[in-house]
Amino acid sequence: MVSKDTVVVDKMGLHMRPANNFISAMTKYKSDITIVFGDKKINGKSIMNIMAACIKYGSHITIICDGEDEQAMLDEAVNLIESGLE
Amino acid sequence: MKTLKGIGVSPGYAVGKAIVIREALIDINSSAYTSAEEELKKFQSAVAVFTKKTRELIESLTRSAGKKNADILNGHIVMLNDPFMLSQINDSIQGGKTAAQATDAVCNSFYDMFATVDDEMMKQRASDILDIKNSIIGILCGENGVAIEDVPKGSVMIAKDFTPSMTSRINRENVYAIIAEAGSVTSHSAILARAIDIPAVLSVKNASELIKDGDLLAIDGSKGKILFDPDQETVQKYENARQSYFEEKASLAEYFSRETVTKNGVKKAVYGNIGKPEDAEAVIQNGGEGIGLFRTEFLFMDRPSLPTEEEQFEAYSTVAKAMGTKEVIIRTLDIGGDKAVPYLEIPKEDNPFLGYRAIRYCLDNPDIFKIQLRAILRAAYFGNIKIMLPLITDTEEVLSAKALIAECEKELESEGVLFKKGIPLGVMIETPAAVLIADELAKIADFFSIGTNDLTGYVMAVDRGNGKVSGLYSVQKSAVLKAIEMTVKSAKSVGIPVGMCGESAADSELIPKLVEWGLDEFSVTPNSILRTRKEICECD
Repeated sequence: MVSKDTVVVDKMGLHMRPANNFISAMTKYKSDITIVFGDKKINGKSIMNIMAACIKYGSHITIICDGEDEQAMLDEAVNLIESGLE
Repeated sequence: MKTLKGIGVSPGYAVGKAIVIREALIDINSSAYTSAEEELKKFQSAVAVFTKKTRELIESLTRSAGKKNADILNGHIVMLNDPFMLSQINDSIQGGKTAAQATDAVCNSFYDMFATVDDEMMKQRASDILDIKNSIIGILCGENGVAIEDVPKGSVMIAKDFTPSMTSRINRENVYAIIAEAGSVTSHSAILARAIDIPAVLSVKNASELIKDGDLLAIDGSKGKILFDPDQETVQKYENARQSYFEEKASLAEYFSRETVTKNGVKKAVYGNIGKPEDAEAVIQNGGEGIGLFRTEFLFMDRPSLPTEEEQFEAYSTVAKAMGTKEVIIRTLDIGGDKAVPYLEIPKEDNPFLGYRAIRYCLDNPDIFKIQLRAILRAAYFGNIKIMLPLITDTEEVLSAKALIAECEKELESEGVLFKKGIPLGVMIETPAAVLIADELAKIADFFSIGTNDLTGYVMAVDRGNGKVSGLYSVQKSAVLKAIEMTVKSAKSVGIPVGMCGESAADSELIPKLVEWGLDEFSVTPNSILRTRKEICECD
């Protein structure tokens, strides 16, 4: 299991379009991905979970990946979040 | 004539026959539970049918309304393939529910989750879920949905709500207008109606009960007006308006993506005036190059107490984000005098137009003013915001406002809050005093914007509401024209940009003069943007 803290730079937060882009990148991986936001644990492959969490611009989140390709998945996830998804 | 009123969200005129779309009552318990395996299979094939249908809709919508608008439906496919949602439906089916019952229960729980969040975007997601649920259950229970595609030419469609999939199935050749009980300027149905250019009136209470199939209706999509059973004269009037709306639209369409440049190659800009954050959409839709006047009074009126810094930040940053790199000029609070706000407890005055209002009130109440300035500075981080001060009559007022802005910057810095430093500060030229000292003001301001509505009244010493003297209220009066010319020249001599944000910026008679004097930016109501650009482009 690997994890990293990051900050959402998308000015609209993780809404429909950014969340959609994030998920299509993450479903390529076999590992599980969890986004920890406050006291919420969010399935990083679920658009419903992500949108319902209302993750806004500037939110601090932790990404946890667990599985056979966890490091590659974590790297791409953090890179996507930090470079903006729109 | 009986009339109904709603929110006009997509302009245009129409006369047509009503077709009320009633939600088909589908009995989700109509089929009996077979086995978990069978129900799961049924659900999966419904998803496949849904995905195929939606892909077809996306394709046709991309052609009629553009890719960005079609993406709304793409989201539906992603939402339906959500692993979290699928696993819940699976669990529900394993637990003895039929495919339709499971879809209903799981979608309803997601709907509740989104609908209860007080956020416009979340509410839209709730309406997406409802749309998905109805489609899937419709497929499962053999309901093919209302035949929206097949309505006859000249129809006006009425529904409780137009979901994205319903709106995208509308045949724009046959449907002349849409009316719904739900919705707002920013809802999907409004965005799509504007994209395919059919008049739409939303938020009409009980429309689907008050309007009967076959009723003849006349619709004004910008005013949000619906007339029942119009007489021959009215029908003719609306049909002419519809015709000229299309003709004007077609003649102006080419100016949407054109630069505002005079025949001599001088670059100008046409901006839009707005009074609420959601109006920014209309500026974008009409090809505005920025927002030249964002009135902030709406935040302060019709409420019992002052808006918080967060509320103001939300409103300003929404517009800044919507406009991207384009300029947004926010006018600070222009309140008092005639625009009464009870909780501010400004005493009634004999001469409100010469009284305690606008910048005078704000500088006298720095605690209130600073909340607004802080919200603007924070919002500026998200876009290209400029500040404009109303009713300036003296350089001292500009310097005091500058000092307050500097204070706010310091506070925000020490609090570690994100904001933008040193954003441009402009002066609204709307008093004779400001015109007379325009040369002095130009040295301390970053830009001017001429507010012709008040300027005309003050220069001519006339109350436009007084019928006995209102004939004197005209921007074409020599004194007013001289005041405008002086202001533009003062700005030009120092080299700061100068715009105009009164109704006169769209005045066909005045535009050639303004161009000749060197006005840089014309800020007009969103509906006048393209016509104003056309007239500027036709000037030498």
